[in-house]
Amino acid sequence: MRSNPARGERLFRALLLLYPRSFRDRFMDEMLEFFRARCDEARKQRGAYGLARLWMHLVADIAVNAPLQHVRAFRSTSARELPWASPFYPEESHPMDVLRQDIRYALRSMARHPAFAIIAALTLALGIGANTAIFSVVDAVLLRPLPWPDPDRLVMVYGARGTQRQNSAVYLDYKDWRDQSNSFQELGVVRGQSVNLTGGENPDRLTGTFTTASTFRLLGASAFQGRLFTDAETEVSSKEPVAVITESLWRTRFGSRSDMLGRTMVLNGQPFTVVGIMRPDFQAPLFTPDVWMPIGYYPNKGDLETRGRAGVLVFGKLKENVGVARAQADLDAITERLADLYPTTNAGTSANVQPLKEQIVGQTRTPLLIVLVSVGIVLLIACANVANLQLARATARRRELSVRAALGAGRKRLMRQLLTESLALSVVGGLAGLGIAYLGVAWLSKVVPNILPFFGTIALDRGVLAFAAFVTLATGIVFGIAPAWQASRADMQEALTVRGDTGSAIRLRARSALVMGQLALCVVLVVSAVLLTRSLVALSAVKPGFDPEQLLTLQFRLPAVKYDADAKIVDMFDRTIEEIRAVPGVAHASLVRATPLNGNGETFPYEMEGSRGVEPDKLPSAHRNIVSTEYFETMNIPRLAGRDFTAEDRATSVTVVIVNTQLASKIAPQGSAIGKRLRLLDGDSAKWATVVGVVGNAKHFQLNETQLDQVYVPYSQKPLIFTEVVVRTNGNPMRVANAVRSAIWRVDPDQPVWRIRPVTQSIDLQLDGRRFTMRLLASFALLAVLLATIGVYGVMSYAVARRTQEMGIRMALGARNTQVVGMVLRQGLRTIGIALVIGLGASFGATRLLESQLFGVEATDPLTFAAVPVALALVGLAACYLPARRASRVDPVVALRAE
Amino acid sequence: MSTSDDPYALLPLTPVVLHILLALTDERQGRHGYAVAREVEELTDGRIRMGPGTLYGSIQRMLDASLIEEAQRVKKPRTQPDDDDRRRYYRITTLGRRVLELEVSRLAEVVSIARRKQLLRPEPA
Repeated sequence: MRSNPARGERLFRALLLLYPRSFRDRFMDEMLEFFRARCDEARKQRGAYGLARLWMHLVADIAVNAPLQHVRAFRSTSARELPWASPFYPEESHPMDVLRQDIRYALRSMARHPAFAIIAALTLALGIGANTAIFSVVDAVLLRPLPWPDPDRLVMVYGARGTQRQNSAVYLDYKDWRDQSNSFQELGVVRGQSVNLTGGENPDRLTGTFTTASTFRLLGASAFQGRLFTDAETEVSSKEPVAVITESLWRTRFGSRSDMLGRTMVLNGQPFTVVGIMRPDFQAPLFTPDVWMPIGYYPNKGDLETRGRAGVLVFGKLKENVGVARAQADLDAITERLADLYPTTNAGTSANVQPLKEQIVGQTRTPLLIVLVSVGIVLLIACANVANLQLARATARRRELSVRAALGAGRKRLMRQLLTESLALSVVGGLAGLGIAYLGVAWLSKVVPNILPFFGTIALDRGVLAFAAFVTLATGIVFGIAPAWQASRADMQEALTVRGDTGSAIRLRARSALVMGQLALCVVLVVSAVLLTRSLVALSAVKPGFDPEQLLTLQFRLPAVKYDADAKIVDMFDRTIEEIRAVPGVAHASLVRATPLNGNGETFPYEMEGSRGVEPDKLPSAHRNIVSTEYFETMNIPRLAGRDFTAEDRATSVTVVIVNTQLASKIAPQGSAIGKRLRLLDGDSAKWATVVGVVGNAKHFQLNETQLDQVYVPYSQKPLIFTEVVVRTNGNPMRVANAVRSAIWRVDPDQPVWRIRPVTQSIDLQLDGRRFTMRLLASFALLAVLLATIGVYGVMSYAVARRTQEMGIRMALGARNTQVVGMVLRQGLRTIGIALVIGLGASFGATRLLESQLFGVEATDPLTFAAVPVALALVGLAACYLPARRASRVDPVVALRAE
Repeated sequence: MSTSDDPYALLPLTPVVLHILLALTDERQGRHGYAVAREVEELTDGRIRMGPGTLYGSIQRMLDASLIEEAQRVKKPRTQPDDDDRRRYYRITTLGRRVLELEVSRLAEVVSIARRKQLLRPEPA
């Protein structure tokens, strides 16, 4: 938007108009030169972001300094005698005096018409306050740079295979990338997993990240006490179990004890030496854990030593002057070589380099911009309302302005006076708006952190305040310019001599145009809000394939050191599930690797028997879940054919799977899938498994996902230390939570469990982001309709008042009340009709931007596009009805005598 | 700001004025506005980054107080497009230098007090 330097310079020149003329004459050229130099600098260093930041800085700088210069200029002339006594003054009087006069006059005029001033200022306050509050979120999430050094050089490197572009990466591939590439200053890996902390009073679960020393370096992390890891410590072969903890863990869990460094923590059953405490303000991208450990201590160490086993996230810092494209080309060459070297695991795989900022905020950009644009529209509508009020008042003030013109005030002078009044009004509105913004920010900073990724805080800081100041001034100019221009054009002679209302025809047209604009913008907002609401409704109505009511879920993970053999895990799980099923109030219970919609889960490529010759990278993928017996009963997923897993499915028996109907119909398009075989490539010992059952389709990751192929595996044949528990209860699921936890502790008292919650809550969490956008948009739409209704009412009242005489004559000549009402309504309907048509046209364009946010409803949904205008027309007509009824009650005698 | 010649009347200096004087102190030819801002930025590692309003507001006050003056640049043939003779150059006046010296020695005194109170580590030898 600001890529055009000439436009930027014009804007800056306009800003300089805030200075007194004497200052401008002296320094304008130099300031322009300064501005150009800063622009070049900003563009070179930070691109569009730098420019945006520069503008914020400029606006704040000038908004603060320009008034000071006025004060100075005023002081240096204050000795002169000022013509306070006379309301009129010659054009050549000092600009500062004029400004003072105008401001005094504006304040007096507000005081004389308090109702007008209050309504106008409140309208503006709502608009400015809402915009400022929303901008504080946009600033925190989108505009502020990431909190690490050289944020523009930070990237994520994903593993890619076919159309899947954002897989986690394989550790051994990462090592090759790191050793062979020359585009990166650093490459580091991260693997997050919770860890069990024991050895204290209670077993506890901490969030943990297994990482490398290079990750800390590229994020500019540093220790608050002690040190971070060395490169040697984070080699997989390292035998140094060391840990770095966060400052908050040190404070909360260890009471800030001074002898923390060198102490031992037992994590996942293994002692780690604490070598450092992270500085308190450090935030890791995506997620900040309680404790960092070297990557080599990741519990499933096999993942780090086997090609083809993905699971790590790779972060990188590009060398100076290396772009993402060059880094991508660099890695492409390496991944091609790897594919040749290790065809069984690496054929068809590649790397995908993405800017980190994009990965963190990319998803949120569209919804945030939608919200920002809608709140901007509300402000425009508010401006139109105030402009309307100003125009109405201009009629009343026509004589006053004409008198002033007759006494020698030039047209420019009058315009300036009126603009000052508008600006004074907008400043009052802006100040009140800050109050509203303060409340808005307080609310948003509570709600937003659960929904959007951002670092730092949402606050009314300098940037946001500069934005509020800018919006306030812009608002004053936007709603002030039309009335000022109109009023200054008034023909003074006509105004002084004729008492008629000739100028008002033009004014009515201007006001109708404003109202049409308002209504058209309303249509856009309401249509958008309705589409988002319908999406949310559609999404909430999605059948997940199971019954989420009365389901409780919780998670736990066994320490690998203690449960070091498959048989031990299976035994622990068998006993645990037995204990849980015995808990009163539990109808069904089962273990599952990942409860649907709870965030966990994996997909793997699979092959079907008899479909040989498919390239490894063209294989279809299926979602794999590892479950116990009775899982489908617990979830209420219908079993359609074959059998459930039983206690007889053991490690030594035939390998079996259950598939969903979608996969079953692929395995056996006609006939039954039971007895057919497929192989899931989920590890190095992938075995052919026989399908023994078919169950209904279920959603797993997202409610709006396209249905996945699903494969269920019994845990007895694929024991993992990580599991979740799902329990179907007879009443409120949280009521049995404690009993279920105790049941687990009866099997292993050292076992921490976490994320205990009803499944319905997981679904709510999925919908929260959309609900947030939808609610904001709906409230803006409502506000817009309210403001536009007031606008329509105002204009129609004005139109009716103007035609009082005509109405009187018509009624004197025998027109009935209903005819007069009809006439006024027809006039209103014409304005409304035109506005709605324009608004519908604009909506067709605008809702395209919404497309990515919609679910289950088209961006051009005919029902919405038909219903919204009808509803708005009805609201508009209602707003016309009151003035129309008033017109019909006109007493002909009074109306005719008026002139 | 007073135009009095008494340098003490101008103390203490605001940080911006102090840094502008520091930026001008070793440049006999004077600097133009943007160069002043850049120099201040470099001297303070970017901690003081002035906008045009702050910079020229201060320059005006400093001109009024005769701390700085517009420099007469020796006219030379224009060799670089950048070397525009419409530019105004500012240089520190004798009064400005005196005020700067007074301010700096005032600050030095503050530092030595702070050091005695052990608020600062002793200067490395």
